[in-house]
Amino acid sequence: MSRIGVFVCHCGMNIAKTVRIDDVVEFAGELPGVVVAEGYKFMCSTPGQELIQEKIKECNLDGVIVAACSPLMHEKTFRKVAEGAGLNQYLLTIVNIREQCSWVIEDEDEATSKAKALINGAVYRTHLLAPLESRFIDVNPEAMVVGGGIAGIQAALELAATGKKVYLVEKSPTIGGHMAQFDKTFPTLDCSACILTPKMDAVLQNPNIDLMTSCEVTEVKGFVGNFDVTVKQKARYVDHDKCNGCLSCMEKCPGRGLSEFDEGLDKRKSIYIPFPQAVPQKPVIDRETCIYFKKGKCRVCEQVCEQDAIDFEQEDTYRDITVGAIIAATGYGLMDTTPLVQYGYGKYPGVYNALEVERLFNSTGPTEGKVVMKDGKEPESIAILHCIGSRDTNYHEYCSRVCCMYALKFAHLFKEKTSADVYQLYIDMRCFGKGYEEFYNRLLEENVKFVRGKAARVTDVTVSPDEEGKLIVEVEDTLSSQFMRLPVDMVVLSPAMEAQADAGEVARTFNIGVDKDNFFREKHPKLDPLSTTTDGVFLAGACQGPKDIPDTVAQAIGAAAEALTIVGKEQLELEAATVYVDPYVCCGCQNCVRVCTYSAPSFDVEKNVSEINEALCKGCGLCAASCPTGAIIARHFTNDQFIGEMEGLMEF
Amino acid sequence: MKDIENRLKQEAKRLLESGEAEVVLAYGRGYDEKHPMPYAAKAVSDVDNIVFDEYCTFNMTRYLTEYPLGTKIAIAVKSCDSRTLIVLMQEEKVKREDIVILGIPYRDMIDSKTGKAIDNSTACNLPNPVLYDILLGDEVTERDDGSPYDVLKELEEMELDVRWEFWSKEFSKCIRCYACRKACPMCYCDPCFIDQSQPRWADKSPSLESNLMFHLTRFYHLAGRCIDCGECSRACPVDIPLHLFHKKVSKECEEMFDQVSGMSLDDKQVMVDFKMEDSDEILL
Repeated sequence: MSRIGVFVCHCGMNIAKTVRIDDVVEFAGELPGVVVAEGYKFMCSTPGQELIQEKIKECNLDGVIVAACSPLMHEKTFRKVAEGAGLNQYLLTIVNIREQCSWVIEDEDEATSKAKALINGAVYRTHLLAPLESRFIDVNPEAMVVGGGIAGIQAALELAATGKKVYLVEKSPTIGGHMAQFDKTFPTLDCSACILTPKMDAVLQNPNIDLMTSCEVTEVKGFVGNFDVTVKQKARYVDHDKCNGCLSCMEKCPGRGLSEFDEGLDKRKSIYIPFPQAVPQKPVIDRETCIYFKKGKCRVCEQVCEQDAIDFEQEDTYRDITVGAIIAATGYGLMDTTPLVQYGYGKYPGVYNALEVERLFNSTGPTEGKVVMKDGKEPESIAILHCIGSRDTNYHEYCSRVCCMYALKFAHLFKEKTSADVYQLYIDMRCFGKGYEEFYNRLLEENVKFVRGKAARVTDVTVSPDEEGKLIVEVEDTLSSQFMRLPVDMVVLSPAMEAQADAGEVARTFNIGVDKDNFFREKHPKLDPLSTTTDGVFLAGACQGPKDIPDTVAQAIGAAAEALTIVGKEQLELEAATVYVDPYVCCGCQNCVRVCTYSAPSFDVEKNVSEINEALCKGCGLCAASCPTGAIIARHFTNDQFIGEMEGLMEF
Repeated sequence: MKDIENRLKQEAKRLLESGEAEVVLAYGRGYDEKHPMPYAAKAVSDVDNIVFDEYCTFNMTRYLTEYPLGTKIAIAVKSCDSRTLIVLMQEEKVKREDIVILGIPYRDMIDSKTGKAIDNSTACNLPNPVLYDILLGDEVTERDDGSPYDVLKELEEMELDVRWEFWSKEFSKCIRCYACRKACPMCYCDPCFIDQSQPRWADKSPSLESNLMFHLTRFYHLAGRCIDCGECSRACPVDIPLHLFHKKVSKECEEMFDQVSGMSLDDKQVMVDFKMEDSDEILL
């Protein structure tokens, strides 16, 4: 290769502020084989792209180097540019002089020199590049949504509405998620059930949605376009094909367990549907509390079931499903506040967490919507404590984003349902969404007492007669610098929204990343917020970070659109950069067979060499790196290309 | 000692006669008493040439990969040698069912070059083979010799520049005869990376740089695989203490991945296996 063009981007001042572009362009222009070198303000813009295409044609270039930002950002953009000018897209080299130079080096000379070194290496490399042809694979048109909360429900409905088949996998016996537990939703105060349950029903009725409750994804193999997913159907001990949902079993069951749906505030039967509006309306048996499973006798449900649907012998089963795209919508967990002993959760019966309070307000909840405490009395005074475990460097540095708003909602509902004094103990009121500030202003009018300060402690140690029998919340009002002791009957904690306890495991199953707080990591916080680093796996809802219902739904619809960009196509273009084996150099150690995640290499015992099935190869290069003899050659990343690049770098 | 030799001959004869083994890899007479040689008995008539004494230090597993897969082989192994077998089986270079393992329960062999007993400062020196079909004698009793890594103490305490000085001096001596590679049962790559010309990874002629390229790459290729038999150092004509480097790498592997190489057929090699609980220490 001998006719190379080098195009150096200023990236506004991003690169130009520390890298002397003119110097770099002049230097590049004199390198062997370089016939044209140009700088431009924004190479990725239309005029920038046109400049490159013009020069490719005018100078008859057979290699292009773009010195700009990270290839993750714009390699695809510039490949299209090359292709558009009739140059094979793999004859392009991106040199990252932004993230690797200007953004990390302050000294102008040093940054300029490094940019030159990188370009020098790239010229060596580009001389050795070979044109490659992209591969195309058939795409499985079906999609999977994992998690049946509002995010998963919305995403599944959107995809199904486009005519695509969707598998909606939910680990619990019903869909609905946390939203089903809420009574009202902020700031509009519309009833959560009224807006959620029709969607749950729509899922059930939609012929394009295969609803899989009590199911968990145990393994994901393959890659974008063709994921092979193994789903475990946990034993329900009720054959849902036979069950007609009459629920007479539930009526007669003598076993009792704590209701997960009511946050343990109430009991449920051992054969149960989690709540009256659950979808599907078919029960499961809780093995832990079922009298038959515990004591070997009972089977009342079996006797009353006219459908013969009870099956105590049922076992977990596994189903293999192939889908083109996956949406992870696995939601969040509420932080356990028991370890924060200063707030007395679990110690004082008057201390509640937010989800428990949601159930207290709810007409289907343990108190049928009446706000009464565990002793049956209505609270006369209530303190709502914000930021328990959020915005706290001892636990979670981040803001959980919904607590300020639901605390306002709680205050409103407390005022509506009781005559109690309500205190808000807040650090800052964060009311950023549409209609949120207005809701806050409304609450300011509702005689709610706002104390700007984070509660320090909840105690039952009294110092004066009027504190007798109360819980004392100690707080500094930072507006008046007054230390306060608030005697109240009820304390409501707003615990942090956390990543699900098994988020790490789930992330590994789907081969996606997590951030420092264990929430799933998006590919790019601004430009690719619903994608993950694994192509074809998308994110929706609070599994990606704390968010409220409007944001979750918006994200779910977006994730469905993202998934559609894959399952809507018949074929997908794959990187041409696959590997092959040089049989004369292969020593037969089979490291490649052992390290490959995609089962692309296999070992030919007769010939004592490995072979690659290129249809399975993703071009990750793991095998090439673990090959002791260098027998595996990764196209586009050959040893010669690497060594060439390094030689160029080491001339500096 | 003589008992072991007799048992060895006896078993070799039986295995060759019955056809259970096509070849018996053991030790034969050399040019003098202190220099026995690796020996492959292919017929019953060869069995008389088999010897065993304290100078039979060779790790005979080195020859296993020379035979086509499926060859029925009986092999005499001491403790470290048996660990090599385990690694070769993990790597599917030999199959368990093709090998009859004649275990030799003997430690403190003598290095004919130095005349000194081989202890755990130059080899693993476990008392008994880890894996065998037939044990040619009674098990040797355990004895507290300390850790095989104790010998590293001095090196580890050196300041970085002193250590660099030490290894630079050692590796400058290398004449690139590749005896270490030839003696190593794990070095079965053909061609070795160092012999390739496309690309040429390092100069062929000795220099500190190219010697380092060869040895460091070899150490890396043996990470998590070396079973500390010490054959490399014994084979080295210029006395580079290669085993020290290998021991250091093994120690790091053990600390990082909690696995000692060649101790269990169920293990996978640490460098090509990923476990969730693997140490992240090497990551930035």
